[in-house]
Amino acid sequence: MAKTGSSKSNKSNKIIISRSRTWLILLLGLGFGVAIGRLFYFSCIIGEELQQKAYSQQLNDTTISAKRGSIYDTTGKTLAQSATVWQVVLTPRNFKTNEQRTYASRRLAEIFNMDQGEIFKKTQGNTYYAVVKRRVETAEKNKVLKLCDELYKKFELENVINLLEDYKRYYPYGDFASTIIGFTGSDGAGLEGIEYQYDSYLKGVPGRLITATNARGTEMPFKYEQKVDAQDGNNIVLTIDEKIQHTMEKYLRQGIAEHKVANRAVAIMTEVKTGAVLGMAVENGYDLNDPFTVADEATQKVIDRLPVTEKETAESNALSKQWRNKAVSDTYYPGSVWKVITSCMGWSEGVINDQSTYTCTGYYVPFEGARAIGCHNRSGHGVQSYKQALCNSCNPAFMQIGQAVGAEQFWEYYQAFGFSEKTGIDLPGEQSDIFFGNGTGVMQPMDLAVASFGQNFAITPIQMVTAISAVGNGGKLMKPYIVKEITDSDGNVIEVRKPVEKRQVVSEAVTKKVIEAMEENSKTGSAKNSYVAGYRVAGKTGTSEKKVYNSDGSQQYIASFCGFAPANDPKVCMLVYFDTPLGDSYYGSSVAAPVFSNIMSEVLPYLNVEAEYTAEEIALMDTTADNYVGMSVAEAESKVSEGGFRAIVRGDGDKIISQVPTAKSRLPQKGTVVLYTDDESVSDDTVTVPDFKGLTVAGANDLASVYDLNISIVGSNAQGEGTAYSQDIKSGTKVQSGTVIAVNFEQDSNYGSGVM
Amino acid sequence: MENSRRISSSGRRSTQTAERTSKEYEGESRSKSENRKKNVRKKKSLLTVWFEGLKNTFNRLFSARGGMDMPFFFLILLLLVIGIAMMFSASYAYAYYNEGNSYHYLIRQAGFAAIGVVIMIVLSFFDYHQFHRFAVIIVGVAFVLLIVVLFMPDVNGVRRWINLGLFSFQASEVMKFAVILFYAHWASVYFDKMWKFSYGVAPALVVGGLSILLLFFEPHYSCMVIIVMLFAIMMWISGVRKRYFIGGIAFVVAAYMVLLVTDKLSYAMERLDGWGMALEENLSSDMQWTVWQTMNSLYAIGSGGLTGLGLGQSREKYLYLPEPQNDFVFAVVVEELGLIGGVIILVIFALLVVRGIMISLRANDKFGMFLGVGLVSQIGLQVVLNIFVITDTLPNTGISLPFFSYGGTSLLMLLAQMGIVLSISRNSNINKT
Repeated sequence: MAKTGSSKSNKSNKIIISRSRTWLILLLGLGFGVAIGRLFYFSCIIGEELQQKAYSQQLNDTTISAKRGSIYDTTGKTLAQSATVWQVVLTPRNFKTNEQRTYASRRLAEIFNMDQGEIFKKTQGNTYYAVVKRRVETAEKNKVLKLCDELYKKFELENVINLLEDYKRYYPYGDFASTIIGFTGSDGAGLEGIEYQYDSYLKGVPGRLITATNARGTEMPFKYEQKVDAQDGNNIVLTIDEKIQHTMEKYLRQGIAEHKVANRAVAIMTEVKTGAVLGMAVENGYDLNDPFTVADEATQKVIDRLPVTEKETAESNALSKQWRNKAVSDTYYPGSVWKVITSCMGWSEGVINDQSTYTCTGYYVPFEGARAIGCHNRSGHGVQSYKQALCNSCNPAFMQIGQAVGAEQFWEYYQAFGFSEKTGIDLPGEQSDIFFGNGTGVMQPMDLAVASFGQNFAITPIQMVTAISAVGNGGKLMKPYIVKEITDSDGNVIEVRKPVEKRQVVSEAVTKKVIEAMEENSKTGSAKNSYVAGYRVAGKTGTSEKKVYNSDGSQQYIASFCGFAPANDPKVCMLVYFDTPLGDSYYGSSVAAPVFSNIMSEVLPYLNVEAEYTAEEIALMDTTADNYVGMSVAEAESKVSEGGFRAIVRGDGDKIISQVPTAKSRLPQKGTVVLYTDDESVSDDTVTVPDFKGLTVAGANDLASVYDLNISIVGSNAQGEGTAYSQDIKSGTKVQSGTVIAVNFEQDSNYGSGVM
Repeated sequence: MENSRRISSSGRRSTQTAERTSKEYEGESRSKSENRKKNVRKKKSLLTVWFEGLKNTFNRLFSARGGMDMPFFFLILLLLVIGIAMMFSASYAYAYYNEGNSYHYLIRQAGFAAIGVVIMIVLSFFDYHQFHRFAVIIVGVAFVLLIVVLFMPDVNGVRRWINLGLFSFQASEVMKFAVILFYAHWASVYFDKMWKFSYGVAPALVVGGLSILLLFFEPHYSCMVIIVMLFAIMMWISGVRKRYFIGGIAFVVAAYMVLLVTDKLSYAMERLDGWGMALEENLSSDMQWTVWQTMNSLYAIGSGGLTGLGLGQSREKYLYLPEPQNDFVFAVVVEELGLIGGVIILVIFALLVVRGIMISLRANDKFGMFLGVGLVSQIGLQVVLNIFVITDTLPNTGISLPFFSYGGTSLLMLLAQMGIVLSISRNSNINKT
């Protein structure tokens, strides 16, 4: 054993002490040092990165779906909204006997009007999840809940039918404004239209339920939970007015049917001073509640006949065509409507003045050696003033104006009117124009000649209406917009869209001159069909060649009309556009202008634009019938005559028990009132409606009085000119005597519009 | 007290004298103070009597002179308390899911700790010189245990535990102590000849080689590493010539190379494969599983950052980090207490090691010096290796953290060994210089 105190021992201890110290320094310095260094590296240097990785494995993130915002029209009518619906799901595993399965499947079949055998099949098997029906509404859901109770009482069955919450998008107006509103996909994301464009506003922010889970994925008994509530989507309020839009759609559909329009039609109405779009109809539309069905039955029939291999492609092509917003996504040759723009150029450049005259010999040779370009009036318009040239829609006159303006200036104005850029309207899929020189604007002399009357360059309908609006707006080009404001889920306004003035394109004086000519055009010129009683309309027709040919080799056309009203202080501007009318007429003046007139005659009063009728107009206006019921026959007859109407008495009674037209309803001046004195006369008295087509206003009036019917004249001008082309009650229908039938008249369409 | 005196009497005279003087001194002071109190108060309450009795007992047990080293003692208690608290925090979710009782590990560990502290205090009164006699016997027992363990049913492909019904214990824990004790005994007896190969190196090669061979069959590689390093430390402080260390390092490298070519290393190799790859992306599913524990250890450390998520707030312990109560308890400590908390604990460990070595180097004989330094070094070594493992600095080979990792036998052995160090401290000059 070691002895203490001896010098030898002290010396040997020194070795032990010094070596121990070396070891201690090594252990603390190197060992502990490196250990702490490593801990520092992982906790502080790359700690955050590691923490993120840790989170991603520890936290279970459940999404709480947000309710999608609604879409409203400018008056607050709901165009699209989301509602809670339910998904009915079976848990087949929990059924015990076939009796239970039969009972449940029979009751479910009753509730959903489905095939019992199919549901019975779903109740079998050993799974936990079999969907019976998706998107079940609350009424049906309550029935399912009742069934669950029954199953429990009867069989003590629990958890065999489950209801899972889901959202469904509703479009209360169905096929209304379909290309604007758009729709959502099965995942709830917007796919088209406003639903797509404003998806980020509408969709809201889904909430999250974050629960810490253990490594087995179950929640830990020691809670760690964080809930972020779902933030419901914002609502979009459109500038679209449901009334206006409906009117536009109604008359577009009428026009499509009337003129056998092959490739849909567009009408866009803007508020001249702001650029707000009041209506944008693309017809025929499709049902937003069922967007994946081909809406056009004829197309569907063609698809059905196709072999299976081609069906899918054909169907998806048909669908993308029906979803396509023609108003912003299609380009077309503007045709003679463009003459308004050429006019602005001419006046602004000073090449047109009140003394300018243009000679039309039926054709025009723009420069030496060029081929002659014909006017639609082969015999020529002769010598015309500028105003006459516009009313005649004379191509040679406008070729001369275009040449006087010059190619470079033409391009400048083209850009100034916003045709070289997208309008920036807040709708998806807006297309760019196609102009000469691949976007450089370099035009050859022949290009300039045909461009002067709107041929061989393509623009979008929205560009056209925006530019014509600028003319109505004293030369100020506004940016078109379709969303008025955005509100949050509680209805508080969070964003208001203000009108954006892009630039002053031409002076107000210039536009005055052009509007004057346009108004004259609507009154007496080629745009006569756009006449609206009581309102000063200014417009221009257009019939453009598509350079696409029918199977028989004939040219396809686009019939369009663009104008605004009232001419002295334009409020609204509208473009009406029919792609490929294949009926009797393809002219803008006969196809598009009447539709413009019909829409405007309803929209202008709706917008409280004051009407100023001329004496002639008042003479043609409808009036209202008084109440004659309860009067004696003699008294009634005298009152009817006092009102300026013709009285027809039916039956043998002493007193009037019924009348047609009824009190306060519209009937024409000098119309017929049928007075009934007993019940039998009421039920017996029917007449068959005759066909008014092709008659003049006077002829139609005569025919109506023969049949004891009344007619309401629509579309005739102040002079009472026009030919009937349609009526609201079809010929052959049986109606009571005295019924008022609306008959549409159009002006003589000898004024074809400007084609080459 | 009687026991203590008997041990002292068989020990050195000086201690006995010191003890006696201290006792006399205490007695004197007590009578003085009693007298003073008697003057102030006529009657002493029963409570005061008990209290003073308790105080006397305490003074006798822990008096500065001839008593054990109080800083070292309290450092041990401090680490033990922190260790059990953190082991509980780390284990309660794991215990809840696997044992059905969150307190499963806490109750057992606290029980062992209580027994261990008693054993430690008792051993501190036991004259450590007696271990001279037991050294060879204990080595023999350790060898027997290492052989017996090979016949035990294997757990997860290894045979490390001897099941005694009530509890099971790791045979290698005994071996670690045996190695230190044996070499301390040998070196103190043959200190003058330690420079010779036959005295300085050969016994280590024989005992070490044999134990490593047996551990190899368990297999228990981390323990092999610790035993090799313990031998190296013992040889180093007992003055073995430096050339042998150079040779030794060369041998370890060579041995490793040999093991590498044999298939027996497959278990460790699988672990080695994942070494340093814990944070790599796009690992195969097999490899992901291999590095799973280390990866989650790093996630825990990273989540803790500088200041930690707060006591009890670890998320990795919710079944992500497998067996958080064992080797990886310190990862949860850092996750909850942050780098700051972790470093504070490491500083306490460092203080324990420094204090322990100070005590040992002031021991009155070489046996005490060697034994003390060896036992304390084992703690420092295991702490460093454990931190290396949880930070992916070394392969994940299963090295527990003293006072923190769950394990009854290991805690008992540890506290018993600390008792021996405390016993050394009673005979050390630590408080007198």
